[in-house]
Amino acid sequence: MTQVFDAKSLRKTVLDMAFSGATVHIGCAFSIIEIMAVLYRNHLRFPDDAHAHPNRDYLVLSKGHGVMAQYACLHEKGWLSSADIKNYFNNGTQLKGLADAHVPGVEVTSGSLGHGLSVGVGMAYGAQRRKTNQMCYAIVGDGEINEGSIWEAALFASHFKLDNLIVVVDENGFQAMGSTDEVLKLGNIMEKFTAFGFESIQLDGHDESQIDDAIHQLKSKKNGKPKAIIAKTIKGKGISFMENNNIWHYTRLSSETYAAAMAELEEK
Amino acid sequence: MRAAFSEVLVAAAKANPNVLLLTGDHGYALFDAFRKECPEQYVNCGIAEQNMVGVAAGLAKGGFLPIVYGLSAFVPMRVLEQIKIDVCYESLKVIFIGDGAGVVYSHLGSSHQCVEDIAALRAIPNLAIYSPADRHELTYTMQTAMASSQASYLRMGKADLGDVHSTMPDSDMQTILPILVRDNAKNLILATGSMVSTALKLASQRHDVDVYSVPCIKPMAKNHIYELCKNRDNILSLEEHSIYGGLGSCISEIIAGDIICNFKKIGINDKFSKYCGDYHYLMDYHELSYQKIETLLNNEFNAQHDSTIDIVRA
Repeated sequence: MTQVFDAKSLRKTVLDMAFSGATVHIGCAFSIIEIMAVLYRNHLRFPDDAHAHPNRDYLVLSKGHGVMAQYACLHEKGWLSSADIKNYFNNGTQLKGLADAHVPGVEVTSGSLGHGLSVGVGMAYGAQRRKTNQMCYAIVGDGEINEGSIWEAALFASHFKLDNLIVVVDENGFQAMGSTDEVLKLGNIMEKFTAFGFESIQLDGHDESQIDDAIHQLKSKKNGKPKAIIAKTIKGKGISFMENNNIWHYTRLSSETYAAAMAELEEK
Repeated sequence: MRAAFSEVLVAAAKANPNVLLLTGDHGYALFDAFRKECPEQYVNCGIAEQNMVGVAAGLAKGGFLPIVYGLSAFVPMRVLEQIKIDVCYESLKVIFIGDGAGVVYSHLGSSHQCVEDIAALRAIPNLAIYSPADRHELTYTMQTAMASSQASYLRMGKADLGDVHSTMPDSDMQTILPILVRDNAKNLILATGSMVSTALKLASQRHDVDVYSVPCIKPMAKNHIYELCKNRDNILSLEEHSIYGGLGSCISEIIAGDIICNFKKIGINDKFSKYCGDYHYLMDYHELSYQKIETLLNNEFNAQHDSTIDIVRA
């Protein structure tokens, strides 16, 4: 089966999982669908199609609560089965509500925010030391960058000239309890990463061609600078009643909202 | 002990280019030899310990063997969650060194002292905990940690108290090491780290006490401890660590409700260091000086305890 990583199909998989498992964090997954799709379709290299190949590129989902978006991609990769998706959150199953490195294809156990980027930085630093051409992509949430450890990692990445690292900030403007402006104002995220020594690009995080172009551009630049993509996204993107409605951080699907969301995706 | 630590680090790094020494901008003078001999394997991560542990996890995933050095007040205390999730949950092999454990940094106050590291770490799976008493135990425990497949924490306390062993322990992963053993002694001291030296000095004044060092807190040689504790009148645990969650707690878990004896945990008695002073002053303040323990020991060992009940006291 050709792997297309179609955004609509990925969102359907997320909805199926969320409904089957009666889980939350739907909006958090939907904001990173296009980013994930472009990475898996066009950029992440897995020699021999092996998720644990020593020379693979790394994708670190530091905002581990968006993991359903990654599960949908791993399902398309064939590393998760349809049963894995269908049985989400059943007792004794493997897939949890947050990213867990015991799952094939998931690099880092995250969800406790502010951890993943540091581990990704360590992986990128290791690749640099081994002189491989591996890339490390790390997706962080905008709320997540409240964590001080994110900025420790940014300092390290810049100091050690990790130009094999691309941090993607999912700037959807919301965190658990409200907008990022209301909770802990972040200011201009791109300026912050630039000030920390990153080469930074801001773009529409739902425009796949923009994301693809930016990644091509950034990964070709071996200029001793880590890279940052500030992706302006919409929390809950793709479903009208979820978009920018922060209740979909914590709300579970009912039969009605599941059907309505699926119908809306079908229409597009 | 610090010289031994430097030697074992340099030897490990020279033997294995994947060994990386990570420090949070600590280790002045201690790493001179390492930086000279293995400059490419020395990584100063800056004053950013949380990131340092995450980076260590990432390096371990990529096939490196990171040795993460910090003051015990920061590694593990400041980075406990990173140790738990980034390293131990994923069964990665990273060696953590906590220097200055106990009240070594006496003049700097409680921020730089650490008497809770063992308690904090014991409950985390996939992590060994070592507490060497002298340079021989340091080498012994470091080599054990290097040979192990799992993560380790090595607690480096007061380092200039002299040797308690004449040579490096010649035992096959034996984790309870005899220091002073008599025939049929009814009393037992189990000590760890800096307090083994004190235990040896105390026992030298008496003829009725055995002293063993416990350099490996986890995994603990439970059966060995149990056998050593059987048929004793008095057992003391001695540690430069809180009485909660340290060596004494480990022993009490092993013997409670089973072995009948008088057992007393001697350690930091649930209080911070309120005052400034030198190491000996603070040890006395915490009732861990030789004189204070000698008085306590004489009171305990010479008293007639009711051996019909199981007394396990903190």
